[in-house]
Amino acid sequence: MTRERIVSLRNPWFTRSVGITAAIAIVAAVVGFVWLPLQHPGERFKSVWDAICSAAGLVRNAAPGTQIVRADYPTTRVEIDPQMLSGASAESIGRGATLALRCTMCHGARGLSQADTPNLAGQYPVAIYKELLDFKTGARVSAIMAPLVADLSDADMRDLAAYYAYLPRVTSSGAAAGEAPPIVTSGAPLRSIAPCGACHGEVDSKASAAWLEGQPAVYLRTQLEAFASGARRNDIGEQMRNVARGMTAAEIDAASEFYARAQ
Amino acid sequence: MTHLSTSDEGADHGEQTERRWAAVAVAILVLLVVMATFAALYHGAMPQSRVETADPRTLHLGGEFIESNLGSALEPDGTVTVRFIGQQYSFTPSCILVPTDTPVTFRVTSADVVHGFLIDGTNINLMLVPGYISSLGARFETPGERLMPCHEFCSVGHEGMWGRIKIIDKAAFSRMAAERRRLSCVE
Repeated sequence: MTRERIVSLRNPWFTRSVGITAAIAIVAAVVGFVWLPLQHPGERFKSVWDAICSAAGLVRNAAPGTQIVRADYPTTRVEIDPQMLSGASAESIGRGATLALRCTMCHGARGLSQADTPNLAGQYPVAIYKELLDFKTGARVSAIMAPLVADLSDADMRDLAAYYAYLPRVTSSGAAAGEAPPIVTSGAPLRSIAPCGACHGEVDSKASAAWLEGQPAVYLRTQLEAFASGARRNDIGEQMRNVARGMTAAEIDAASEFYARAQ
Repeated sequence: MTHLSTSDEGADHGEQTERRWAAVAVAILVLLVVMATFAALYHGAMPQSRVETADPRTLHLGGEFIESNLGSALEPDGTVTVRFIGQQYSFTPSCILVPTDTPVTFRVTSADVVHGFLIDGTNINLMLVPGYISSLGARFETPGERLMPCHEFCSVGHEGMWGRIKIIDKAAFSRMAAERRRLSCVE
């Protein structure tokens, strides 16, 4: 018995098996890359080559179809990056402290308010920076804040955010807050409301979501109502409007009062 | 001599068996290709025809996913394009309006993590991957309201993330589209 070489064109087993496998691969490729893409409903490829490249996963953004409808109100222009504004320099905090003198009337000398305006001490820098920018662009409307931020530069807003983030938060006593209401800890899943705590601390926190503990109840309630009615719409992608719209008055009260107590 | 002839018979038998096994293997391969093709053509199990990208951090700054452009748009050719986004922990718009008996194209993306788009009672089921636009064609025959839960775990508020899709009569939809350029059923 002669020992033939397996990988050889003279070996009929080799030529036939490789031939059949290659034929199946070619047929499958033609089906997958050309025929099926061309059968796609509602898809118009310019050429066979276009269909092949699309099926192969090359990024091909569709030509802008119908005209994009623009909002007739200002929307937020802030691009959120979870890492942004971290690691502020002492110099930046110092500059922020000087700039913050104009804020003390309402937000307190050390960022703790006596006037039902937000406490800013220890607030996440991203949240402060975003709101300042939104006040400036008009995405968030406030007759009081608008003139105060009008002349702030981007660097000024970053410095202010760094300064307030650096200040110590209201001290937490924990027990005073009592048990968190269900809306904060578990939301209302049957009405498509995620828990407040999923983004605003307590359970987890989401970049640009504000730290709410110790904020005045009146302020929190007003903002939730403004989100629900659409009077405030500087939240990216309507994330707060979607939630607030579904909340009952009792839930708004419960959440506002819990966060106000939780100092 | 006897010894040699037995070994020849053995070789013939071996070759026959090997040929049968090869035929089985080829048949399996062909069957798989046919099944995949059949599923693609008749069960809608086809991957999206093109890869499109969208930066999740700048969706709200420009392009087709800005909030005023989300919702259902009646195209000049009579079809409907529905654009919406998934984000922690809601869909925007949270209630989607589509007409009956009309080709509908969904164009969806995520603003943060992986979410899911599924319409209850249909075979519509997509993953929303940040950075990419998921698109899908559909057609609804009967009016009604269906649920649209996010079915990819998207962190701790996941259970609260679901939307609604309302399928209404084609004529009623056209009347509404004449008044507003982007429709939704968010109240």
